[in-house]
Amino acid sequence: MTEATDLAARAGDRDPRIGLRAVAALRRLLEQLEAVQVRSARNQGWSWQEIAAELGVSRQAVHKKYGRQ
Amino acid sequence: MFERFTKDARAVVFGAVDHAERSRAAMVDEEHLLLALLDREAGRAAFALDALGLAEQRGSMERSLAEAHRRGGLSRADAEALSGLGIDLTEIVSRVEEVHGVGALESGREDGKGDGKKKVRGGRWAGHRPFAPGAKQLLAQSLRVALAHRHRHIGDEHLLLALTARPGVAAEVLADHGVTYMAVERVLWGGEGQAKAG
Repeated sequence: MTEATDLAARAGDRDPRIGLRAVAALRRLLEQLEAVQVRSARNQGWSWQEIAAELGVSRQAVHKKYGRQ
Repeated sequence: MFERFTKDARAVVFGAVDHAERSRAAMVDEEHLLLALLDREAGRAAFALDALGLAEQRGSMERSLAEAHRRGGLSRADAEALSGLGIDLTEIVSRVEEVHGVGALESGREDGKGDGKKKVRGGRWAGHRPFAPGAKQLLAQSLRVALAHRHRHIGDEHLLLALTARPGVAAEVLADHGVTYMAVERVLWGGEGQAKAG
């Protein structure tokens, strides 16, 4: 990497837009990963209570989000 | 707002619902609206897409959409943003698929095999799919696009323009195939936004 592009890259890191976009992307990825894991646990016979405990949320929260699917 | 939709625009909305049903998606999203726009053979959006050479690229667009779908509906811009944090999205997708099967991370899918009649979240029957927030925002944006052009009705061309203007997978796939807001405006109304095609 040349000095100029290195500088540009580092300046870019301070651009809030890049950081915010990364957070938004991470949140979307997190939602997908959570859905995969909850589905997998349900298929293996886990109760909502057990899933909620692992996720660190209330049983109601996880059931409201994924129940009846 | 829906009463302002032209027949062509309504056909796109209904077509999007069909696509969501066929792919057993829990909600109608922007990707389904894009697929429905690509289906159209008449109307201004079809005219614009034809003029931009999309006729031969439909398969390529569908493949790009399917790829994005497989990585959880995340766009390439999302993947780049994650890579800036040191997160390799491709690696995550392949690890999840190793354990949970190909397509495990696909966005918006319903659980189980389903027969098209099972209940989805919110207690609605699968035949009556709600619009995802992004798709609702897109419809609202199409109204703003129409108003900006001083058009009284919302046509399928306004839906297409709104799709190109919103960040996300649909706009990214369109732009990759040369369909940008400016390009659509140009083929429909010429450089100055004059009503050439209308």
